[in-house]
Amino acid sequence: MDKLKENQIIEDLLPQKFGKLGKIWVASLMGVCALGAYAYGRQLYYGLEVTSMRDYVSWGIYISNFVFFVAISLVGSLITAVLRLTNVKWSTPLTRIAEIIAVSAITFASLIIIVDMGRPERFYNLFIHGRLQSPIIWDVIVITTYFFISLLLLYFPLLPDLKIMIGYKERNRRWLHQFYVFLGAHWKDKPAQFKITHKAINILAISIIPVAFSIHTVTSWLFATTYRPGWDSTNFGAYFISGAFLVGAGGVVVAMYVFRKHYKLQKYITYDHFDRMGKVLVMLALLYLYFNINEFLVPAFKMKKSEEEHLLGLFTGEFAPLFWFAIFTAMFIPIMILLFPKGRRPFPAFIAGLLVVVGSWFKRYLIVTPTLLHPFLPMHDVPASYHHYFPSWEEWSIALASLAGALLVITFFARIFPIIPIHETILETESHENEKHF
Amino acid sequence: MKMKNIFKSVLFFIGFLPSFLNAQSIEKNRLVLGLKYYNDNNLMQHLVVQAKSKIDGKFQKIENISVKVFINNEQDKKNLIGIGTTTARGELIVLVTPKAKTEWIKSATQNFIAVSATTKEFDEATGSTTITKAKLKIDTLEGKMVHAKLLVLSDTIWKPMPGVEMVLAVKRIGGNLNINETATYVTDTAGNINAEFKRDSLPGDSKGNLVLVANVIDNDVYGNLTAESTVPWGAKLIYMTNYNHRSLFARRGHSPYWLEFLAYGIILAVWVVIIYLLIQIKHIVKLGLD
Repeated sequence: MDKLKENQIIEDLLPQKFGKLGKIWVASLMGVCALGAYAYGRQLYYGLEVTSMRDYVSWGIYISNFVFFVAISLVGSLITAVLRLTNVKWSTPLTRIAEIIAVSAITFASLIIIVDMGRPERFYNLFIHGRLQSPIIWDVIVITTYFFISLLLLYFPLLPDLKIMIGYKERNRRWLHQFYVFLGAHWKDKPAQFKITHKAINILAISIIPVAFSIHTVTSWLFATTYRPGWDSTNFGAYFISGAFLVGAGGVVVAMYVFRKHYKLQKYITYDHFDRMGKVLVMLALLYLYFNINEFLVPAFKMKKSEEEHLLGLFTGEFAPLFWFAIFTAMFIPIMILLFPKGRRPFPAFIAGLLVVVGSWFKRYLIVTPTLLHPFLPMHDVPASYHHYFPSWEEWSIALASLAGALLVITFFARIFPIIPIHETILETESHENEKHF
Repeated sequence: MKMKNIFKSVLFFIGFLPSFLNAQSIEKNRLVLGLKYYNDNNLMQHLVVQAKSKIDGKFQKIENISVKVFINNEQDKKNLIGIGTTTARGELIVLVTPKAKTEWIKSATQNFIAVSATTKEFDEATGSTTITKAKLKIDTLEGKMVHAKLLVLSDTIWKPMPGVEMVLAVKRIGGNLNINETATYVTDTAGNINAEFKRDSLPGDSKGNLVLVANVIDNDVYGNLTAESTVPWGAKLIYMTNYNHRSLFARRGHSPYWLEFLAYGIILAVWVVIIYLLIQIKHIVKLGLD
């Protein structure tokens, strides 16, 4: 490949400064984060009383948000690991998007758990007094492990790109250049270095799959190891993983569209990528639909007394509008859009991905909260507020701030690092041209 | 003329309105003070004051009522044996302390008086009870027979008292269990009761001890009397605990070995990989420096 073309790729993919729209976007996210910080300050000062969580609903939108973050983080293993190991080449421009979504999501999953604690300064007790028998401890261990593996999977492929960015010293501010030097000055494009990196990425791709499966299976076990209606299921691990792959893939499609449009990456994130990701999304939506049918049809067929109130609450009762909204937006409508080739064009696919993400967030809420409102023993002599749950403004603010925080991490990452791997793109273009030539 | 009359009526009504409202506000519920006497094992005598009032058609326990309890005469401050405030259950317990000895030894019959303080809701109320001093003894006879005897003070002599109903039971957590199928007994002419203990397989403490109880309950003349005796008639309780056993539901550090092996094995394996990769980064750095 000639130098001119290579330079063009580098020029296209190097991180770009925030434009006017980018600045507005960052300022808006920071505003939401500031509001969340204020709400969290109030929660620290007044205690969990400022939330709507009471004796029965002790897991509200914080835990729903946690499950959502854990779910979306699974995309790192899908795009990076599964597709890499199966030698799928078209996913190359998407790997870094998927990995940064995974890292930011898993970071905020950890933070939102601390937010859910009434006394966060006692967090260390989890390590001092934690029981190995408890799925909560398993979750802490596996989330920490997944975070480090995802970080390494982000770092290794970044090394050749860091060298490229160090070469463009004049484009960057001094501190940013020093940051690149700190991270990647040791990379000299030596074959031995490539060999180690290639090996490391393969090891990471293999090891991240069981860890990713564990992270979401263990999260599902937080619920499934209880006897409660709606949670007492042997299906929960697979149900959670399939849902996680779906929301993760949806998130990637949304990010693909936004980066493509904002950074003008039409040459690198093509219609073909949307087409393929659209097909993946349909397959995952159908898979998740299958698990949903298992999860709801079988208990509804038996309609055990303890399950009845919970299921009717979802199908026709208090939660029915939200339940059907989640089912339709997360599964039915995206399937209907993406089944057709026209639906797999960038904008319709973006809409479908957005629906999947929004529907999946509400789906997590429906997994966590309604069960808590249906205990085995009837609720007697409790205040009226105990019978229902609607998050307080503090909860909404904190939950939205955590989502905004995750988006900020992705935004800043894309500002500092190339969101599409430059070196890999050059190599693939080169090999593509060679294939053409021969 | 008509207008003038109406004006007069209004003035008259306004003039009397404050006194009418005042009369409404000072109307108070009647407080009832109940007083019960207890003699526990012939060692400790105490009184329980119960404050209640009929509100909305039913008696309700009244808390935070300040009550003074006197022996024999409430007019004499020397006879004051206790002051206190009723609890949330509307009760106040007052011990008959050695301070009351002078009055206590004067007579075989004692009168106790409880007087409440006036509050915003209630006027002063008085309750009293009169008891004749009695003591209850419990012992055992051969062949798991329980023997109880009731003696009553007459002038200065303790005399057996016939015809008094009592319960013979064995103490359990949360209540007493009758020693056989008979619910209550009545003392004979010698003030005695003999009954067979038929609860053979009853678990006792670690030595097999059970506590037998003779109880005279709410007697109009003698109050509430209790006598207890410990007997080795129960089954020895062998305390079983799985506190130190390893299980999925045990405390920290007591998880099953298989779980520890599995969990630590997985954690170790994954972290060995992570550490290996960190070492690889070091190698890359070294290669770069070379």
